[in-house]
Amino acid sequence: MNSQDFIRQSDGLGSNAGAPKSIWRTVHTDPPLLVGIALLCAFGLFVLFSASGGDVPVVQRQALTMVVGLVVMFIVAQFNVHFFRQWAPTLYAAGLGLLCLVLVIGVEANGAKSWLDLPGLPSFQPSELMKFVVPMLMAWYLASRPLPPRFKHLFWSAVMILVPAGLIIVQNDTGTAIMVTMSGLFVVLLAGIRWRIIIFGFIALLLASPAWYLYLAQEHQKNRILTFLNPYRDPTGTGYNIIQSQIAIGSGGIYGKGYGEGAQSHLDFIPESNTDFILAVLAEEFGLLGVLFLIGMYLFVLIRGSYIAFAANDMFSRLLAGSITLTFFFYVFVNMAMVSGLVPVIGLPLPLMSRGGTSVVTLFIGFGLLMSIQTHGRNRFI
Amino acid sequence: MAGKWQLKDHEAERELFGRRLAVAVVLVILLFGALIMKLVNLQVYQYEYFSARSDGNRLHSQYVPPARGLIYDNRGQLLADNQPIFNLTIVREQVEDLEETLDFLDTLIDLSEDEREQFSMRLGRNRVPFSSVPLRYVLSDVEKSKIAVNSYKLPGVAIEPQFVRQYPLAELTAHSVGYVSEINRAELDSLTAEERENYGGTNHIGKTGIERTYEDLLHGTVGYEIVEKNNRGQVMRRLDRTDPIAGKNISVYLDTALQVAAQEALGDYRGAVVAIDPNTGGILAMVSKPGFDPNLFVTGISNKDYGVLVTDEINTPLFDRTTNPYPPGSTIKPFLGIGGLHHGFVDYDFAIEDPGYFRLPGVRYRWGDYTLRTAIGGGHGHTNLQKAIYQSCDTFFYDLGNRMGIDTIHSFMSQFGFGENFTVDVKYARTGVLPSRDWKRATRGEPWYPGDTINSSIGQGYMWATPLQLATAASIMANKGKVIQPRMLKAINGVPYEPEIDNPVADVVVNDPDYWRYIEESMSMVVHRAYNDVFREYGTAYEAIAMADRDMPYRMAGKSGSAQVVGISQEIMRSEDIQASDLNKDHALFISFAPAENPFIKPQIAIAVFVENGEHGSSIAGPIAKQVTDAYLLDILQIDFAALETGSDELISFVDE
Repeated sequence: MNSQDFIRQSDGLGSNAGAPKSIWRTVHTDPPLLVGIALLCAFGLFVLFSASGGDVPVVQRQALTMVVGLVVMFIVAQFNVHFFRQWAPTLYAAGLGLLCLVLVIGVEANGAKSWLDLPGLPSFQPSELMKFVVPMLMAWYLASRPLPPRFKHLFWSAVMILVPAGLIIVQNDTGTAIMVTMSGLFVVLLAGIRWRIIIFGFIALLLASPAWYLYLAQEHQKNRILTFLNPYRDPTGTGYNIIQSQIAIGSGGIYGKGYGEGAQSHLDFIPESNTDFILAVLAEEFGLLGVLFLIGMYLFVLIRGSYIAFAANDMFSRLLAGSITLTFFFYVFVNMAMVSGLVPVIGLPLPLMSRGGTSVVTLFIGFGLLMSIQTHGRNRFI
Repeated sequence: MAGKWQLKDHEAERELFGRRLAVAVVLVILLFGALIMKLVNLQVYQYEYFSARSDGNRLHSQYVPPARGLIYDNRGQLLADNQPIFNLTIVREQVEDLEETLDFLDTLIDLSEDEREQFSMRLGRNRVPFSSVPLRYVLSDVEKSKIAVNSYKLPGVAIEPQFVRQYPLAELTAHSVGYVSEINRAELDSLTAEERENYGGTNHIGKTGIERTYEDLLHGTVGYEIVEKNNRGQVMRRLDRTDPIAGKNISVYLDTALQVAAQEALGDYRGAVVAIDPNTGGILAMVSKPGFDPNLFVTGISNKDYGVLVTDEINTPLFDRTTNPYPPGSTIKPFLGIGGLHHGFVDYDFAIEDPGYFRLPGVRYRWGDYTLRTAIGGGHGHTNLQKAIYQSCDTFFYDLGNRMGIDTIHSFMSQFGFGENFTVDVKYARTGVLPSRDWKRATRGEPWYPGDTINSSIGQGYMWATPLQLATAASIMANKGKVIQPRMLKAINGVPYEPEIDNPVADVVVNDPDYWRYIEESMSMVVHRAYNDVFREYGTAYEAIAMADRDMPYRMAGKSGSAQVVGISQEIMRSEDIQASDLNKDHALFISFAPAENPFIKPQIAIAVFVENGEHGSSIAGPIAKQVTDAYLLDILQIDFAALETGSDELISFVDE
């Protein structure tokens, strides 16, 4: 029964399997995805060079991070994705263990006690691991159950998502907690959770938000929301970032001021111009066309990711690939929307563009999983 | 495990996933669409607005102050120079917490309370937003590097180079050249809107002396530049620039060598020397002692230094003795004398028998003869005008003045500049007092009494004149009545300057031009008439001048004077039991011109010397005038008087030039 099931699936994908790309299959690489990623990386370095004011060491370090990321991606892609499926519960358990360990012996950096410095290993953030371990576990859990998931499964799904998210919030790293939650949530959404539950949950969130604002939100979170509503309530304080960022974007116009000519960034009016606000630099120097070009590249990667999810052989691979792709989109969109003033400021980097390494490697692990899904399934059945 | 698999409908699940994925892709595209709309709104529809905001962020128009014109002396020696210094400046708008910034700067370069106070005063002035305000002038190299190293912690704080005035001769020209200092509120308010714009980049303005008189020439025209500044207020690029027009370089008649000679001649005395070239009206020397270092004022004098200068009530270094009036004493006698000749009150033969005092008819009070405060007593005996001048006989002039009357004295004396300011460009000089009936009624509300005339006749009483006025009068005397108004400015940017004088002063015309010769001869006798057998028939300054230098190659016309220190009556001064302190001693005066009575060469220099509490005009002030004259004629002009006698045309032409 099981084997028949697989055969029927492979029949449906027969047309794809015939493509003469066996060399890429052998090295487990998906060329369109690789091209999209490579273009984004190159463009990212190009913009970073200008944003950092021509600081070559900064660009070199970022390039090195990207190379490391690519290597990690290739290594991950060599494993059949079902290897990860088998290990998903174990990885999840280990991840939780590490998160608990962080609470005890974690090292603090940038206000978040999220780093683990174990002897013999480079220091890393267990919370980063959870960004792909949680969707992996969710995909493992839901793929083996009838879809759409039943209420009982949804309950356990929520538990499996919220336990690590809660541990990460305790580390004072809300941004990562949101990403981990979202990556798990995407799996649940793709698994076919009923619309009425989605709508009910959405309304519940809306209703709960005033209570959150009044009783739970911290001062800086309240400020961010007030600033979002009116940046000019404190133009030199909390509103400064978004105002300067909007000036940079707006003054870029359609065609931009030219590479290296961004006055807002080069005269240090844009804060965090190398990291979270790098889109403002890009928009100032390359204008609307530059941003559209970037969105186009992201869209290309997203479409390819969605295709991989759509064309995957089994539900685990579909859910995992879909979650990875949507999480990537979530990153991109939230950052761009925040820099252009569409949503309140949330400290999230722009994937493959912003300087800074920790999340880059997680990102590439995700791409590695996508490639694994795209390349392993075919080999086995052709 | 197997049971669960049986429940799954893989096809249906795949379709469900496909639908969800499709919804997700649509959402992705919709959200990107919303993002693009936001970007289009920012970058297309609001482009103009944000573009202007961006330029407003980075572009700043700032003034470029013009270089102040230099001041040269007669011979091209620099009297006022511009030196580069480095200032610490702050742009208020770019400093988040001013107090905190100042406190941090304090840890780096030790700000005094004084500096903080002055800084907040400067901040309080009207100023262009985003303009830099000096916190400290003249940073040392160490201070500069301390600021530079910490500049990233000091947004809005910058080190700006600036050229400031420097006076190489310091004390020597403190009063005559004057100084520039920071513009104050009142000065700023007195400027027109246009002028204020022109001073936009200027911190300094001429406060005294030539610097003030020729402020318009020296200042120049402000320039502008558009600069790009970064977030911390540092100038990154200059984009556009309208160059300032530098102030004009000017030359003045002052002669540094003569200025030095005058200062040295004064020695330790407080006093003043003014020397004028009668042929050009050029003021050759103008020294007030003691002086002060004008450089202190340029970069903001500290309260402590300023305190030292203003609390010294005896030396009053800030007080310009050349342009402030004192009783001129007997130095006015030659002028009154020629007035007497002109108006026919005396002639060459007229003489009085001097008993040593003067008495108005019907009045018991005796006006004593100042010059005769000696043990011998008695008067000058038979005295004509010439003797009255070289012996400085008060009685003669009491009588002459009494007969002339104050109205005639006033109208005649004013032709020599008494009570007036004849200068072309020393307008800040005071005019002293040449008393008249109207003057007394206006200022005192009293009628003129005959006794007032008596006092005025010997340059006392209400009569006041500045050393500059005395030198001016001496110069007119040297020119035999021709008035060439005294002036400072000789050339602008090397081009000789001829002032346009709206109301030129008329020459002094007397009935018989020989009167000039007669008075010149009388004044020569003051210096050269030697002791002889006849009682009191020598020149009052003979001993101190001609006798002290028997090889004197030229003749000098002079007149000594002593002026009572105001507030102490004659009775007290004359009483034996009062030991007059130094400060109660008479002021000593001397006027002169030279060479006198020289058939080959006209007088080249007219001098007024004033020595505060010098006591004796002839013996204290006289030698000072002699020393200054020597310096000018013999050292500076290097006139060979012996050669003149033998008639060398070459030398004369050199001197005339």
